[in-house]
Amino acid sequence: MPPPSLPIPAKRALPSKEATLFRELLTLYETRQLKKGLKTADLILKKYPEHGETLCMKGLLLTHMGRREEGIDLVKKGMRFDLTSHICWHVFGLIQKGEKNYEEALKSYTQALRFDKENLNILRDSAHLQTQLRIFDALVETRHTLLRLRPNLRQNWVALAVAYHLNGELDEARKVLEQYESILKDVPDYDVEHSEMLLYHVALLEEVGQFSEALSLLDTNAKARLIIDRTAVMERRARLLTKLGNVEEAEHAWKALIQQNSDCRDYYKGYLSIKGVDLDTMSEEARQETVRILRTFSEQPPKATVPRRLALEYSKGDEFKELVEPYLFSGLSKGIPSLFVDLKDLYKDQDKQRVIEELVEDASSSSTPSEPPTTYLWSLYFLSQHYLHLRQYSRALNLLDIAISHTPTLPELYTCKARVLKRSGDTYGAAQSLNDARLLDLQDRFLNTKCAKYRLRAGLSDEAQEIFGLFTKKDAPTPASDLEDMQSLMFLTEDGDSHNRSGRLAMALKRYVAVQKTFNEFEDDQYDFHGYSLRKFTINIYMNLVSWEDQARSHPAHVHAAIEGARIFVRVHDNPALRNPQASSGQLTDAGKKAKKRAKKAAQKIQEDPKKTATSANEDKGLEAPAPKDDDPDGTKLLASSEGLEIAAKLLQPLVNLELPSIRLWVTVYDVAVRRKKYLQAVKALLHASTLDPADPEVHVRLVEIRKLWSILPQPPAAPIGSTTSEILEELIPSSTNLETYNAEYLQRGGTSASIVLSAAKASQVLGAPEDEVSSMVFNLFNPDVNLSIKISVEALSYLKVIHSPRVDEFRSRLDSKFELSTIFKPSSEFEAYRKQAIGSSFDMDGGEYVPQ
Amino acid sequence: MSMNIRPIKVDDLLGMQACNLQNLPENYTMRYYLYHALTWPSLSYVAEDPKGRIVGYILAKMEEDVGPDDHPHGHVTSISVLRSYRRLGLAKKLMIQSQEAMSTIYRAAYVSLHVRRSNRAALSLYRDTLGFTVKDIEKKYYADGEDAYAMRLSLTQ
Repeated sequence: MPPPSLPIPAKRALPSKEATLFRELLTLYETRQLKKGLKTADLILKKYPEHGETLCMKGLLLTHMGRREEGIDLVKKGMRFDLTSHICWHVFGLIQKGEKNYEEALKSYTQALRFDKENLNILRDSAHLQTQLRIFDALVETRHTLLRLRPNLRQNWVALAVAYHLNGELDEARKVLEQYESILKDVPDYDVEHSEMLLYHVALLEEVGQFSEALSLLDTNAKARLIIDRTAVMERRARLLTKLGNVEEAEHAWKALIQQNSDCRDYYKGYLSIKGVDLDTMSEEARQETVRILRTFSEQPPKATVPRRLALEYSKGDEFKELVEPYLFSGLSKGIPSLFVDLKDLYKDQDKQRVIEELVEDASSSSTPSEPPTTYLWSLYFLSQHYLHLRQYSRALNLLDIAISHTPTLPELYTCKARVLKRSGDTYGAAQSLNDARLLDLQDRFLNTKCAKYRLRAGLSDEAQEIFGLFTKKDAPTPASDLEDMQSLMFLTEDGDSHNRSGRLAMALKRYVAVQKTFNEFEDDQYDFHGYSLRKFTINIYMNLVSWEDQARSHPAHVHAAIEGARIFVRVHDNPALRNPQASSGQLTDAGKKAKKRAKKAAQKIQEDPKKTATSANEDKGLEAPAPKDDDPDGTKLLASSEGLEIAAKLLQPLVNLELPSIRLWVTVYDVAVRRKKYLQAVKALLHASTLDPADPEVHVRLVEIRKLWSILPQPPAAPIGSTTSEILEELIPSSTNLETYNAEYLQRGGTSASIVLSAAKASQVLGAPEDEVSSMVFNLFNPDVNLSIKISVEALSYLKVIHSPRVDEFRSRLDSKFELSTIFKPSSEFEAYRKQAIGSSFDMDGGEYVPQ
Repeated sequence: MSMNIRPIKVDDLLGMQACNLQNLPENYTMRYYLYHALTWPSLSYVAEDPKGRIVGYILAKMEEDVGPDDHPHGHVTSISVLRSYRRLGLAKKLMIQSQEAMSTIYRAAYVSLHVRRSNRAALSLYRDTLGFTVKDIEKKYYADGEDAYAMRLSLTQ
């Protein structure tokens, strides 16, 4: 960093001819006339080859033109000649911003501002960077400066208010807006931007709790037609009146909203809340009143379904039956596919479940002439889902077979059948059934996507890609690359899981990391809106964007990918042989080999592409760094990384920062930390997990593990880390604990839970029990009083493999007979036959007849 | 049945994107959804199931390039309802809410949309259920060379 007293280099001043050229150069850049700009820069450099600012500008132009490396070299060279030029620092900041290196870019901008304190462009860009980096106190200062320099620009006022708001100074924000409104003149009629600004002001007042001020601001401006978003006005008004306890007007306001959009649940809830009905702690009286109100709404036009559905939630006994009957039959006769999903929430109440079951059973048993045949069919469909929900898989399948022979052309029946088969462990049959559904409507991407997803669930990644490819872009290198470009979290997650389950760890990791990258893109996406939204005055939704971004990584897809990715690194650390792709991928099927070839070709295609497009020299390619060449298309390099655990820790870090209440997260954080010998971090993570559920099976194994590990540690970490770790550990599991007894008691307490049986077996292995003892503990899962699910079975089977139990095959075969409908526990020799079944169809293509399986 | 229909929040955009990818061949990155939401926050709506999952959406905007002889008008970028939530009239309900906002906030005279020539199901939804008429055929509108029907619906009656 140069001291402020650094003199301006003599070489900066140009003679007047070149000075004019330089000004031209700046204009040419502003208007993105890149080629002309380049020529102009060269004219200056011919005479003054060491002119730093020109060198930087030339570098910037070249970067825009796609000659990135060359450009950046020139920028750096220019900087060396002139370290006190705001232009040089600005250019450097632009380049860094293009590389998404926001922190470094902000540093460069700060330098630039030292040499040109009032440069509007630099100030604005700094504000955007400060927002992106959430440095809000500095943002307030920058916005202040901008407002002082350009008080006539409307957005500068709002920008300052927003900065205060983000910095938690809500009162200051309010004052800025008030001052702004008081000096504002001549707002045109129907000005959307002004309307949005006022709505922001109202929201701000509501946030600081000034409800009546908010309401009067809203009312005045709505009447004056300055706020023109009618729905927003009505919603805000109803909420404010409710908060103010203005019962009569609030009632009208909610009713008006219901008239406008009778399908919005919040409006009914708002109405009920003003009626003094607390939906959480409801008295019998309040319950009856609620049902009465909802019934009134149901009978009034526009006869919406939302109040009728809500009434089902609050009614009981005979009244429930009276209400649910027409609701059910209307849905069944119209053939509404989502009827069961809509009602299943009522099953929390056993009586309601029974009433519904009886009504639909009746409808399906008596195909009376008065009922249309579709009612019969949809009743069967409803009942299949009903019994699936109750885990009566065979019964559900029987009903579906009857329905399918009644109407063999309804795709929903096959998707439902697929779901039943999937739940009962027949992933191959499930995939086949969804293929049947797909074949019935080949134009429908929904069925196509589901079919591909079910193939992934059956571990058939390549076969799934073929199906995905029917709807992805034809010019994409592979279906997978199109889905990744389009940010399909579903595809990345399911494909990653599919590879993971099949032991293809490298590809699994590749997909999980792609999820991570997608969320990086989301984070970068907000950048442009820091300026854009202020220009458009869409502040309310912009504030919503900023807070969404702050917790976007708590999205289930991101959490899952980060955790599973980290766990792969843990597995590879424990068993380095897994790094070798031969060991992990198993034998390739023919389809697999073909797909591998295709992927290789596709990867080449991707890498050739940039050459083709780098032709037109004047084309502006922007400053964003292009995606680096993917030199690890199948993830093998990443999997083999010697820093796997460090990468795992980085994957988990955003989730640790968000302090998500997920046991799986914290035990994974523990697993990574303990292997990195970061014991304090490890016990802290375990403390987090244990707070969520101290008796959790995953927590139990690790408590035993860390207590044992700590006791045999040759050299405990130095103070204060060592003592803090000890203290937390003591709190989690005292050092006086006899671990064998501890484990035995744990098992005794929860011995009918399969996950506890498995956990106790794992813990005894940690404590050094011989393999045969551990194996037989796992076999206790077959005890008649243990409630064994397919999920735990799969987990137990793979655990037996990890400890090299000689009884793996015996275990598998017992699972195979225990779960009669399942195919996932079949011997691997039968895999090829099942694979063929999964990608086939049950239709007899010649006769068009359905053959029940 | 009862799916909740309401204006979008930023939190909905990922769910809309997932719904779109599941259902339709025309897909967009998050940026494009953000651009809609942060430019015309009141024009897009979602339908959500009781668990808060997005089962349908309308992603809409105002046309920015209005010719001298043309009126301000809205444009439906994408509308979709998951197959398992059909027959509830959700597409129509979403469309009506969006149109209402186009007309009251932006004084739109009509709303336009494009549909693939081969997509008969969508064509019938727009024409028969939602009342759109085919205004024009745009040759090779889609990236893969397929023609589009340009359809519109007047908002002024």
